[in-house]
Amino acid sequence: MKKLIELTVNGERHEVAVTPDASLLNVLRGDLALVGPKKGCDAGSCGCCSVQVDGKVVYSCMTYAVGAQGKEITTVEGIGRPDDLHPLQQAFIDAGAVQCGYCTSGILMAAKQLLETTPHPDETTIRHAIAGNLCRCTGYTKIVDAIKLAAERL
Amino acid sequence: MALPNVQDYFIPGTRQEAVDLLGKFGENAMLVAGGTFVHGLEVRGVLGEIEALIDIGQLGLAGIRSEGGMLVVGATTNFGAIQANEAIASAPQYAAILDALTYPPAQIINVGTIGGCIGASAPLYDLPCALSALDASLRIDGGKGAREVALGGFFTGLFENVLAGDELITEVVLPAASANTASAFLKLETNANDLAIVNLAVRLTVDSSGNCADTRIYVGGGIGESYARAVSAEAALNGSPAEAASFAAASEAVVNDIEPVDDHRASAPYRAHIAKVYTRRCLATALERLG
Repeated sequence: MKKLIELTVNGERHEVAVTPDASLLNVLRGDLALVGPKKGCDAGSCGCCSVQVDGKVVYSCMTYAVGAQGKEITTVEGIGRPDDLHPLQQAFIDAGAVQCGYCTSGILMAAKQLLETTPHPDETTIRHAIAGNLCRCTGYTKIVDAIKLAAERL
Repeated sequence: MALPNVQDYFIPGTRQEAVDLLGKFGENAMLVAGGTFVHGLEVRGVLGEIEALIDIGQLGLAGIRSEGGMLVVGATTNFGAIQANEAIASAPQYAAILDALTYPPAQIINVGTIGGCIGASAPLYDLPCALSALDASLRIDGGKGAREVALGGFFTGLFENVLAGDELITEVVLPAASANTASAFLKLETNANDLAIVNLAVRLTVDSSGNCADTRIYVGGGIGESYARAVSAEAALNGSPAEAASFAAASEAVVNDIEPVDDHRASAPYRAHIAKVYTRRCLATALERLG
């Protein structure tokens, strides 16, 4: 049986009917058409689904939507727009940190929490902060460069 | 839908409501704190019978306080809050806790809870291994009232523990350690998001004569169905000088206390070898932390 719940995503309130076991990821993508968070492993390993809940990065595939009521949810769509990119998004473009792009939105969310708590991270700290996000294209080097660049600009 | 029989997702506001729900749904209820372990089981399709998800995030069980020299950690306290706690971060006796929390990625640190990883009752988890070596105990609430059990006696097998169907962990108690005590933890993993192939924690006290006393060594990962207390390694240490030769002797003894499994991730002899190496390294780290 579906439950009617209210979610606050990127500052907007949404009312959605969900099954009790619906993941936040499925609701974001399927009900709210926010397809920035990607479904990769759907098992809390790849990080493609990362979003922020109350300012903390989480795997949305492992988060129950019903349990996310009353919390501030931020997806990659909420951090910048094509005509007004977040400094991390601009840095990913400038550093060439995107290849296929499937992991990018999740890594941006992990990097965002890093820079919010550690404005000037060293490389080890950056690599640790994105350890919960897999990228099979880039080898991470340019992703790390991009996060360093964003840290300098912020 | 991964939980085909689930009827509702409950968010009780009081412990009593949670206990009542557990009593009502029995074995077909699943507690949700951080939710990461539940999801792990869900995607493997083993929760087909679950009828009720019971979210215990609103029970007021998060937080860390001192109680007569002991530290009491609420069951839904997440790993990040534990890392940020000054009383834990500043005490060498608790260092194994922070060691264990260096491994999970931010996405798990932000939501995983101390009670959840204990309740999961799988020796592949790191924090319970560290907490076992610190002689932690658990406060439990349920239909028949509250009780306290030692973490060392909590696990009864893989995914098995002493909790009755209507009980839940409410708090984790860290006892005050003797003076001159430090701890350490190490884990072997293949990548940044991996379950332990072997994990190991020690607590070392050095007495006024410079000898090891009241040592604790626990081993987890693929070494049995639950964490193993390495009693023969502890016996080899207690009363011996706190120095490399004693640590080497203890590391040779640790293999008597474990039954490593042979699987695609590591052979049994390799796991045994790692347990030996980690015993030595953890003891050396703990000694270093005593300055």
